[in-house]
Amino acid sequence: MTEEVLTQVPGNVWKVLVKPGDKVKPDDVLFILEVMKTEVPHVATQAGTVAAVHIGEGQEGVDAGTVAVTIGDHSP
Amino acid sequence: MLEVVKPGLETSIQDYPGRIGHWAQGFPPSGPMDAWSFRLANLLVGNQPGAAGLECQFVGPSLKFQRDTVIAVSGADMKPTLDGQAIPIWESVAVKRGQTLALSFATVGARAYIAVAGGIDTEPSLGSRSTFHKAGVGGMDGHALKPGQVVPVGNGSGKAGRRVKPDVRPPIPTDKRWTVEVVAGPNDDWVDEAGRQRFLSTDWKLSSKSDRTGFRLEGPQWTFTGKAYNKAPEHGSEPSNIIDQGYPVGAINLAGQTPIILVNDGPSMGGFINPYTVPSAAFWKLGQSKPAELLRFKIVTVEEAQDLRRSIDELCSERSIV
Amino acid sequence: MIYPEPRFLPAGDRFVLIEFGNEMNLELNFMAQGLATEIAEQRTNGVIETAPCFASLLVHYDPDQISFRDLGKEMKALIRSLGPSDELVLDSRLFYLPTMYRDPWTRACVEDYCNKIVKKEIDPDFVARINGLADAEQLVRVHSGTEYWVASLGFWPGLPFMMALDPRCVITAPKYNPPRTWTPQGTVGMGGASTAIYPVATPGGYQIFARTPVPIWDTEKRFPVFHDSVVLFRAGDRVKFVPIGKEEFEFIEAKVKERTYIYNVVEYQKFSVRNYKAWVKVLETAKRF
Repeated sequence: MTEEVLTQVPGNVWKVLVKPGDKVKPDDVLFILEVMKTEVPHVATQAGTVAAVHIGEGQEGVDAGTVAVTIGDHSP
Repeated sequence: MLEVVKPGLETSIQDYPGRIGHWAQGFPPSGPMDAWSFRLANLLVGNQPGAAGLECQFVGPSLKFQRDTVIAVSGADMKPTLDGQAIPIWESVAVKRGQTLALSFATVGARAYIAVAGGIDTEPSLGSRSTFHKAGVGGMDGHALKPGQVVPVGNGSGKAGRRVKPDVRPPIPTDKRWTVEVVAGPNDDWVDEAGRQRFLSTDWKLSSKSDRTGFRLEGPQWTFTGKAYNKAPEHGSEPSNIIDQGYPVGAINLAGQTPIILVNDGPSMGGFINPYTVPSAAFWKLGQSKPAELLRFKIVTVEEAQDLRRSIDELCSERSIV
Repeated sequence: MIYPEPRFLPAGDRFVLIEFGNEMNLELNFMAQGLATEIAEQRTNGVIETAPCFASLLVHYDPDQISFRDLGKEMKALIRSLGPSDELVLDSRLFYLPTMYRDPWTRACVEDYCNKIVKKEIDPDFVARINGLADAEQLVRVHSGTEYWVASLGFWPGLPFMMALDPRCVITAPKYNPPRTWTPQGTVGMGGASTAIYPVATPGGYQIFARTPVPIWDTEKRFPVFHDSVVLFRAGDRVKFVPIGKEEFEFIEAKVKERTYIYNVVEYQKFSVRNYKAWVKVLETAKRF
């Protein structure tokens, strides 16, 4: 089952910590947005492999509710 | 009464008109950025329009209720649910003891308001329950909500099913563009004609480095009149430096070449010029705008700005409720 | 200059900025504070509050009680009735504030700035040099040698902006560019001709060279002096910095922690602008301490 990780806030992409192929487990920080001078880390809720990253470090003005990272499950 | 299960991004207690009368000691008014939505939420639950409620910014909180009550959510739609079931915004809703209200993130607008019948009942600080989070004044122990806190609520009875008419809710645009009223002054005579034209014809981008202390704008350079250069050296070395002066709430403060709109928790004085001031009637727009959205400014007179504020005040009344 | 007539500048729908002049001159602040006091005494209808600054007064009014135009008329009439600022006699408390000059904490802060942001001459030496003083020791004698007039409070709650009353102690200092990202709580510093005390650890741009262990704001009201106010100072107060050493600093810090520190405030004096000006006239202003 794929998980689409959405941005929870609008803002700038401060850090992207994963790339396609990385294995992640629940609560791993995938990326950090910056809004209101606050860092907002976004975590994986399921275990899986990062299938695609749709945002880039330094990207500005990302909307809330944007699909940022797609995670596939571990099954072959 | 309200158990904070999740605090949201920065959720704080605010009342209206906020902490007034202490500007000379550097205390900003704080209070809700969108006082239009805020007051209507209070009226929905039978509170005075200025009663203390919660301001939610970008991502709202999850709150568990320790007794039966009536609530209302207004402002940006953060898709509120009660025990997982969607509830409407702009409408008063009955809540039972043990239920959990959860707000998600906003996609249109930025700030939502939660009013609870009876109003939030913390100890006021300097005459107001409003929160100046950065300085530790008011609110819950001086700051925004933290997980595990229990927010006290006064006694009050509300009626469920009251609704704000759609045409009297603040019209939040969906095209990411705002027209924001400004009054010229106090220091508009420091900016030259080209600079004034440029200010009014630019779509200024709201920076994500913006918060309740100031809204930073990105755009072109400012150009100045002789006043900015032919001044005593104690003003400071930048053209936009001035001998420290009082700042009105809503001032568009020109820090070097960066315009920063001083909003509810902003500084009361400083050494930069304020060529324009956003009037109180336009504050709700600032409160609902999101990073990367575009603001274009429109000049109004002092009297026009005052009339605009009066017409919004009139909407914040029982006649807007069905 | 001191404007022949004050300027009334609109500031949004609820504020007016009254400018008395455009230079750092105590006279202009006396005018601003004199008007603020008069407005408070007269309880001018529609005025919610006022906030004096160096050369100006910000007035916050209720447009439902008074129009912008009528407010201007009221203010002009009040200013006329006040007469020249020489007549002003203001209640003025005097605070003796124990202060360690050339302290290690501001030094560490400046060194941190040099390491992380940009190298600069250490602040006490820099300020001494650009004011033609012999060394940082003379800076201490000169800076601490005068009472400071609290001209304004703001930028951060409780932060006082002060001007030297003794013209023999007037020095100036440019601000940091870029500013620091932090400043120790209780730091005493200068920007332009103004001395300020940082109530909490905020970013800042003043040249810094001293620190006081005494709180200047207290939301918990731990001391009687905060009984009526969270903030120690008001415009019109005077402050005398009393140089102390590190041992005394730590002794006072401990007393503050125990809540046994007793503030040294003199509360019966009035400040007479006429008497002040007469005193300034007899000073040999070219001589420094």
